[in-house]
Amino acid sequence: MTTARMQALPLPDAPPPWTRRLRGLGAVLPALVLVTLLFVVPVLALLLRSVTEPAPGLSNYATFFGGTTYLKVLGNTFLIAGLVTASTLMIGFPTAWFLAVAPRRMAGLLTGIVVLSMWTNLLARTYAWMVLLQGTGLINRALLGLGLIAAPLTLTNNLVGVTVGMTYIMLPFMVLPLASAMRTIDPSVLQAASLCGATRWQCLVHILLPMVSGAIASGALMVFVMSLGYFVTPALLGGTANMMLPELIAQLVQSLLDWGLASAAATILLVLTLILYTLQIRFFGTRGAA
Amino acid sequence: MPAASLLPRAAAAAGSLVFTSWGGTTQEAQKTAWVRPFTKASGVRVQMDGPTDYGKLKAMVESGNVSWDVVDVEYDFAAQAARDGLLEPIDFSVVKRDALDPRFVTDHAVGSFYYAFVLGYGTKPFPAAPKGWADLFDTKTFPGKRTFYKWSAPGALEIALLADGVAPDKLYPLDLDRAFAKLDTIKSEIIWWSGGAQSQQLLASGEVAMGQFWNGRVAALEQDRQPVAIAWEQNLTTADMLVVPKGSRNRKAAMEFLATATGAKEQADFAAATRYAPINLGSAKLMDPAVAETLPDRHAATQIDLNMEYWAKNREEIGKRWYAWQAR
Repeated sequence: MTTARMQALPLPDAPPPWTRRLRGLGAVLPALVLVTLLFVVPVLALLLRSVTEPAPGLSNYATFFGGTTYLKVLGNTFLIAGLVTASTLMIGFPTAWFLAVAPRRMAGLLTGIVVLSMWTNLLARTYAWMVLLQGTGLINRALLGLGLIAAPLTLTNNLVGVTVGMTYIMLPFMVLPLASAMRTIDPSVLQAASLCGATRWQCLVHILLPMVSGAIASGALMVFVMSLGYFVTPALLGGTANMMLPELIAQLVQSLLDWGLASAAATILLVLTLILYTLQIRFFGTRGAA
Repeated sequence: MPAASLLPRAAAAAGSLVFTSWGGTTQEAQKTAWVRPFTKASGVRVQMDGPTDYGKLKAMVESGNVSWDVVDVEYDFAAQAARDGLLEPIDFSVVKRDALDPRFVTDHAVGSFYYAFVLGYGTKPFPAAPKGWADLFDTKTFPGKRTFYKWSAPGALEIALLADGVAPDKLYPLDLDRAFAKLDTIKSEIIWWSGGAQSQQLLASGEVAMGQFWNGRVAALEQDRQPVAIAWEQNLTTADMLVVPKGSRNRKAAMEFLATATGAKEQADFAAATRYAPINLGSAKLMDPAVAETLPDRHAATQIDLNMEYWAKNREEIGKRWYAWQAR
């Protein structure tokens, strides 16, 4: 932007004349059209479908909230997303700190490992966990061989399987934002605190956590929201009793051709996600969402 | 035709078509046994796509933008889709109806291949071999996990009823309450398979002791000398069907492809590769007897036909109940 044009911009308290406003609209018009076509229109079509198929009205929403099955699936979805968020935070926080304070070359190498796992085929990673976790899998055989257990533990087709598999897949999305926020912290701040007699725990709670709370919120929201929409891993590592909403939607669309109910379920998921997003912005500001 | 110019050239040009199937070894065999000879004889190029997705098929027909010309689907879906007006009628001046097993031909679909749900089991864990569906529910005599097809489809409910003592000719209409009650007795032992490769992995690794399998998948494990076997008692049969979505841009070529795919030799070649039975009545005499011996059509005496018309009529209602029961 040239200086001349910057000077031409009106002051905030003086509203621009309508001609200029129109010109401003012209500049964002292509983006607006694109967003409308690619996002707003499909979402509206989805909404419309949910209240028009098979008959006009709210019957799909009544079906969804009227039956225990769909509510249970919705509950599963949020439970699993919550568990995955909690476990990625528990593993991701120390990992990110380690990445932030490690010598540069070491940190680069470790970051590479974290990113590399993101580039590996999702299905392959999920199948790998199936092989590791199943009754005749590596983990159970090792535990049996060491005499630590008498019978194989049930680690797949249940909550354990989904949580482990999805935590592994979501970990980078927690570690990377946390590590980049932690890197900006001057370690001497913590040193100063401990010189003044703060315990390690006090350093963590009163200094480190407040400084990275925005990054924690944004990482947690990202993991939570992505988990809500996950499909492959829960379908393969979870049992049918842990079914999540995306799998239900896929069944309704692909197998039962009940697009009305599927649209209603998708709309419900979308609305809940938007509510979460709004709450996050409200409590942690846009800084956390960036 | 301005609209056509936006499409990939190969799909829009005359003399080509898109064939969609389920992927994996089955589609590989379809490519080798049907597509290659067809392209060689007719010059029509065939693009392979997959996996089959009923939602996609419906969306294509509804939007009038049909990019699939021949699709491999399950029989009950073929029947329902024909009723919903999603399919082109088969041109029987091109496809020879008389040559095909009448069980697997309708006005809007021809058989792709014919398979059986069988009881597959690992041969190591048990001193005695399980014989029929009742043994699948007998976790005392035959301990271990069980596996069933995950999706709502003909098979598992029939198996539960047969195991509970329902006579084969009294299966339909299905007594759903009774079937689910029977399945409840082993529900905690069930691991579901959602694709053929997964079913093989579960059985070969010993993760499950036995279960409901497509016969071809267990046969492939046997050929690999894995310690598994098939019990053919009360094997449940049906076929996959080939259909042409309504509004296919290459309808004529699609019908010619169906004629080739259901030909005696092409069906025999596919059967030899997959151990699914041919739907062409002339294929049997073209086959190696040793291979023919392993196919479902050699077990006709103990065979039960799944009632696809019943399923087509009730698939939505049963499907909803099935998934609700699974999620419970």
